[in-house]
Amino acid sequence: MKIESRSEAVIGFSEGLGRFLPQGVTVFAAGLSAFLVLFIGLPVTMVILMSFRTGFPGEVVPFTWENYATVYLTPRTYEVLLNTIFFAVSSVAITLVIAVPLVWILMRTDIPFKKTIYVLLTIGILIPVFLRTIAWILLLSPRIGLVNKWLQQIFALSDPPLNLYSLTGMAFVQGISFVPGAFFMLAAAYRSMDPSLEEAAYTAGVSKFRTFLKINIPITLPAIAAVMVYLFMTAIAVFEVPAIIGLPARIHVLSSLIFTSTTPSTGLPDYGMAGAYGAIMLILGLTLAFLYVRLVKQGKKYTVITGRGYRPREIALGKWKWAALAFVLVYLSIEVFIPFSVLLWASLLPYLQLPSAEALSSLTLKHYVELPTHVGVRPFVNTLILMFSVPTITMVLSVLVSWIVIRTQVSFRGFMDTLVFIPHAVPGILMAVGLGYLGLAYRDYFPLYGTILIIVLAHTINWIAYGTRTTNSVMIQVHRELEEAGRVAGASSARVLWKVVLPLIAAGVLNSWVWIGMLSYREVTMALTLLTRSNVVIATVVWQFWGSGWVPQVSALGVVLILFAALVVGGVRLALSRVGEIGAAS
Amino acid sequence: MRRFSILSVGLYLGLALLAWGSAARAGALEDLIAGAKKEGVIDFYGPSTLGPDGAQAILDAFNKKYGLNIKVNFTPSGNMTRDTAKVIGLSASGQPPEWDIMLVTDAHHGSLWLRKLQKPFDYSSLGIDKQRVHYDNGTVSVANQFALPAYNTKLVPAKDVPKTWEDLLDPKWKGKLGVINSTHHFGRLAAGAWGDEKTLDFVKKLSAQKPLLTRAGEMAQRLILGEVLVSATLQDSQLHEVKDSGAPLAFAEQVSPVVSPEYHVGVIKNSAHPSVGHLMVAFMASAEVQAAWQKYTGHTSAFVPGTPAYKFAQGKKVLYMKQDQAEKIDKISRQIGKILGFD
Repeated sequence: MKIESRSEAVIGFSEGLGRFLPQGVTVFAAGLSAFLVLFIGLPVTMVILMSFRTGFPGEVVPFTWENYATVYLTPRTYEVLLNTIFFAVSSVAITLVIAVPLVWILMRTDIPFKKTIYVLLTIGILIPVFLRTIAWILLLSPRIGLVNKWLQQIFALSDPPLNLYSLTGMAFVQGISFVPGAFFMLAAAYRSMDPSLEEAAYTAGVSKFRTFLKINIPITLPAIAAVMVYLFMTAIAVFEVPAIIGLPARIHVLSSLIFTSTTPSTGLPDYGMAGAYGAIMLILGLTLAFLYVRLVKQGKKYTVITGRGYRPREIALGKWKWAALAFVLVYLSIEVFIPFSVLLWASLLPYLQLPSAEALSSLTLKHYVELPTHVGVRPFVNTLILMFSVPTITMVLSVLVSWIVIRTQVSFRGFMDTLVFIPHAVPGILMAVGLGYLGLAYRDYFPLYGTILIIVLAHTINWIAYGTRTTNSVMIQVHRELEEAGRVAGASSARVLWKVVLPLIAAGVLNSWVWIGMLSYREVTMALTLLTRSNVVIATVVWQFWGSGWVPQVSALGVVLILFAALVVGGVRLALSRVGEIGAAS
Repeated sequence: MRRFSILSVGLYLGLALLAWGSAARAGALEDLIAGAKKEGVIDFYGPSTLGPDGAQAILDAFNKKYGLNIKVNFTPSGNMTRDTAKVIGLSASGQPPEWDIMLVTDAHHGSLWLRKLQKPFDYSSLGIDKQRVHYDNGTVSVANQFALPAYNTKLVPAKDVPKTWEDLLDPKWKGKLGVINSTHHFGRLAAGAWGDEKTLDFVKKLSAQKPLLTRAGEMAQRLILGEVLVSATLQDSQLHEVKDSGAPLAFAEQVSPVVSPEYHVGVIKNSAHPSVGHLMVAFMASAEVQAAWQKYTGHTSAFVPGTPAYKFAQGKKVLYMKQDQAEKIDKISRQIGKILGFD
């Protein structure tokens, strides 16, 4: 009896203590949170730290307001800020003017060749912006642009009517390149839209166009607004278009100013100035992220776009079918066909020239043959490392975070969700500059500068917000009963996650894995900011070739890259055909 | 008899000194070769006009001469100024350089020398002519570039081709000019023929012409396309690169003075492979390299009679940079970059 009493007492004590001790899940979540705070917080902290320092990273210097004084007391900063806002707003406007009708046509109507158009849109996302920009120079440059030449001939104009080397020109090229991304973001909202209001409008005899303007757009306005804010955040951070079009014409935006501060054309690197400029970007980013979260929440309140139980009927376009198809084709031409044709043309020439009989007679394949010699093996190996490690690490972290956020009652799960969303508010270029500074100034503790791992890290941080949004949404769809059944059967939380949850969300996770891999493959801003001889990737080779004037070679590389992307996308679509429609998991 | 004895002793001494010199040279060379064998690889930064083929051709000749099997990692320059700044930045942060040797212009090596970022070596101990050794044993000269205004021969009629530097300031060129980021070209004019005031005034007026600003290789392409009609300066490297393709690109050869940056090669401080680096730097002065260099980049030394560079320089006023001009050129080139709007 005594023994039994003692045992009961021990058990009772353990249970009592257990109530005060954190559970395994909580401990795990706390560990993961601490890791993420370091993982995400360090580069951001570095940006703030370097903004208060002068000199080179690693030099022992006192903290100073000097960089802020220089930046904020210079009128140029405000000019650049205005340029940045104009560029971002115009880019987003151009994107939406094309993307919204495109989404409606493809998601809500019976337009033919839908699958082919989806694939082409996907390829569009994967054509490096850099290569497309080069193609647009050949089309819209005031002196040599083919479009300008044709317009001058047709309308007998003395001056070229279009000038690519302007903020508007930059916004046009950037806006076009945002369209596929915006399309996939808006697709889900349009696909799941309640058709009853739309059908009521048709019954009342309202035209399709008027219904689109008065019903479809207002219903999806929160989704459009969220996409607008997302794209605006992206537009203030992009670098390729501002670098190729803006810098030669002395048009600076914040991202190009940050880049040239750390890798100047004629002077010495000034990380302090980059940090002070970065502070503006950080404030802009965080404000926009706050706005974005609010808009997304507001969007969820719209019961008409929950999609539960609806299967919207496709609208028969009738005679307008061909007009809609023409619209899509015009867009695909400027997004995919024309840039690809220009690159193909340039890749076959001994030197870059406009189409002519003389040029036709000099076509050659030598740049393709010489590609292995010019590019070498390392960029391919490094790019493959990025394409496999970035999505893998991102998705492992995303699944773990989403599992805690969606499936557990850990008290700080909201904090974790916010934490992994922060990188979305911090422009990639800033994250890369912060990591670069970390690597240079604290190399003993962070010996990654100059390695491919530092780019892996930058990309992973950059896409963890995207990864967790995806895993959050797919995990919500898995009913708790299945997990509970696993637990009742005696399986641990980890085993339930591994054996029950993961197989159920595998398709969505795999889809995101592929996307992140492809985004990592084409990303150039962060890779360029962290570029050294050892971590060169294909995207940065393109930049180096362009700088060296190897345009035919860079075009040949571009053609190969686009064909590679097309093969990957085609293969993945085939493999994931059971996953469902495009945009389901993105 | 006594005279004969003195002569004999002198001769013996001379021979002994020669033998000692040869032995010392052979010793230094053997040490470098042994070190190079251990290091096995070289990270080589050089002009993009040399290309991977040119770098490999030089390395093949190098391996053959010294019985080595060194591998080369060649980085073509996209922007020598930016990459020189990168080396300076990395060094200030205590990081090792990315490259063992850098083959860049004397102005860029001047910037490195001012910050003591070359790893010196007594190259004359390997038989290199002292006249080719610069920056306190930090570099060896390889060949000369020439920089002048360049134009599109199809689009600029002969009568409009600039004949003086000032012709570039003619309002007819507004919006049709280009300037490359090698602002040291103007820095050399400031340090040499023009002085600061005239140069800065010229650059300000040039900036008012709203030129397109790019890197040299990119500018060559924009010139060929006709997007830019005249580039304020361009190196002959770019002209050589497109020579065989028939691209319509030429120098405005009447413009004077001609700027002549000299390619120097040197081992960077804290290089991971210094032995193979020094051996390669010494090898760069050899006749084999000169031939390969001419084949791939079109450059030769302006100081070796009979070479194309020597012939080109004849009868022209050519500005060569001196070591004591390094600081001035380094400083004013950055100032010029800011005026033009590069950074």
